[in-house]
Amino acid sequence: MSAVALERRPAVQARVIVALAQRALAVQLRRAQFLIPALVLPLVLLAVIASGTSAGRNLPGFPTSGSYIGFVIGGALLQGALLAGMTAGTAMAGDIEGGFFDRLLAAPVHRASIVLGRVVASLVVGAAQACLFLAVGLIFGADYAGGVLGVTAAVVLTAMVAGAAAGATGALALRTGSVELLRNFFPMVFVLLFTAPAFFPRQLLSPAMHAVTRFNPLTYVVEGIRAVLHDDRALGSPAAGFACAAGLLTGATALAVLAMRARTRGA
Amino acid sequence: MTTGVAYSAEVTAAMWRRSLLEIRRVRGGMLPTILAPLIFLLGNSGQFGRLGSLAGFPTDSYMAWLLPLACLQGAGFAGGAAGANLARDIEQGLFDRLRTSPAPRPLLLAGPVVASMTRSVIPATAILAVGLAFGTGLSGGVLGLLALYVAALGTCMAAAMWGCLLALRYRTQQVGPLIQNGVFLAVFLSTAYTPQPLLQGWLGTFAPYNPFTYVLELGRQATVSGVEPSWAHTWPGLVAIAGMVAVLGALALRALGRIGN
Repeated sequence: MSAVALERRPAVQARVIVALAQRALAVQLRRAQFLIPALVLPLVLLAVIASGTSAGRNLPGFPTSGSYIGFVIGGALLQGALLAGMTAGTAMAGDIEGGFFDRLLAAPVHRASIVLGRVVASLVVGAAQACLFLAVGLIFGADYAGGVLGVTAAVVLTAMVAGAAAGATGALALRTGSVELLRNFFPMVFVLLFTAPAFFPRQLLSPAMHAVTRFNPLTYVVEGIRAVLHDDRALGSPAAGFACAAGLLTGATALAVLAMRARTRGA
Repeated sequence: MTTGVAYSAEVTAAMWRRSLLEIRRVRGGMLPTILAPLIFLLGNSGQFGRLGSLAGFPTDSYMAWLLPLACLQGAGFAGGAAGANLARDIEQGLFDRLRTSPAPRPLLLAGPVVASMTRSVIPATAILAVGLAFGTGLSGGVLGLLALYVAALGTCMAAAMWGCLLALRYRTQQVGPLIQNGVFLAVFLSTAYTPQPLLQGWLGTFAPYNPFTYVLELGRQATVSGVEPSWAHTWPGLVAIAGMVAVLGALALRALGRIGN
């Protein structure tokens, strides 16, 4: 069978995506430096914010459903997802710099499958990370009134954000092929996080920040996560959360595929 | 022939000048030390600004509360860079050449540490300027401002010792993130977000044992109206800085002594 025919068979490409996702996961598990920022940093920030700002509960207008840590954990889930996506993009840039990417291009593999493999791996990392964070939150006093269904929905939303972040940073990696640039992009995670009501209710943010949050899709995702976790629609709209997460995932993956085309055209 | 003290000063100055060359050679190298604390300052002010309206908060402006923290963070990151640069020199073999020179070994650390303190004035001032541009007032006047710069320089010195200690211990540039994360954690595990009476949970118990809580109090005399410049708000910070520098400096010198043995 010719290489072109192989590239057109969906079953073959599905196996390629799974294999590339498995490889990406194996690399991330093997290199602790890839995992630590995405796992440790959000948990540390969660611990500091949950304890350091919990007096905020006494502010008039602060939602009463669930514990304080249960409220701020949505921000930690988002942060972890964004960092997981960022490490995926950095790893892809590393593959480009290290020459592995060129070997992939020489194989009878559809270009989109290379991108999808990375995105699928990030979906898995995002989901696993969300389970871990929610379990840690539970140990430290968070309660999830939304039950198993709510927790599952929160895990899915987090995974979608991780996949979207992997797509966006993958596009950057494919455009630039520079690990250094991806590393310098790290502060963007906090810009995205802080311009959404990640740790505090939207109505209690400063007026300027409140105005900005409306334009950040992560606002609706984090509010959706809180709504499903605490089974309280006053905290946000799950439908809006899923719509934004799906839009981000599709858009970012499409961007990465386009960047891949541009890169292989130039090669 | 120059005397011992004059020779030491000469070597330290030479090392200081060499370390300062980084500013010109690595253009934009100072940017992360300014950018990261600024993002945290603006982001946290936007997120948690309403905390300033809680009873018991010593200022109405939450940014005034956070601004010294951000200045100290920037200075701390500049200090940590001394360790990262030392790790690079060790990896590339330059440090071995310096060790074979007749210069006393402690001076090989003194130069980069003093240079990082000089460099730390840049992020501390830039962050302060942004905070002032966003409407934060200097309620503590000149004395408060002086206290803030002492706190920033002290933080930088402690962070530089910490960085040098790790660089000498692990002798690889990969230690960079560990240095910066250590600085990040040390500063945040304190009264970073709220004053001690409003801290709840484990952080309320831990913060009084963190020396940075007192260094922050020293720096907050500049912008927090409820922490007016006074000796009572000053001496705990000075003791904390002296303690951190003494302990971390001694450990760094011990690690330096072990190199090559």
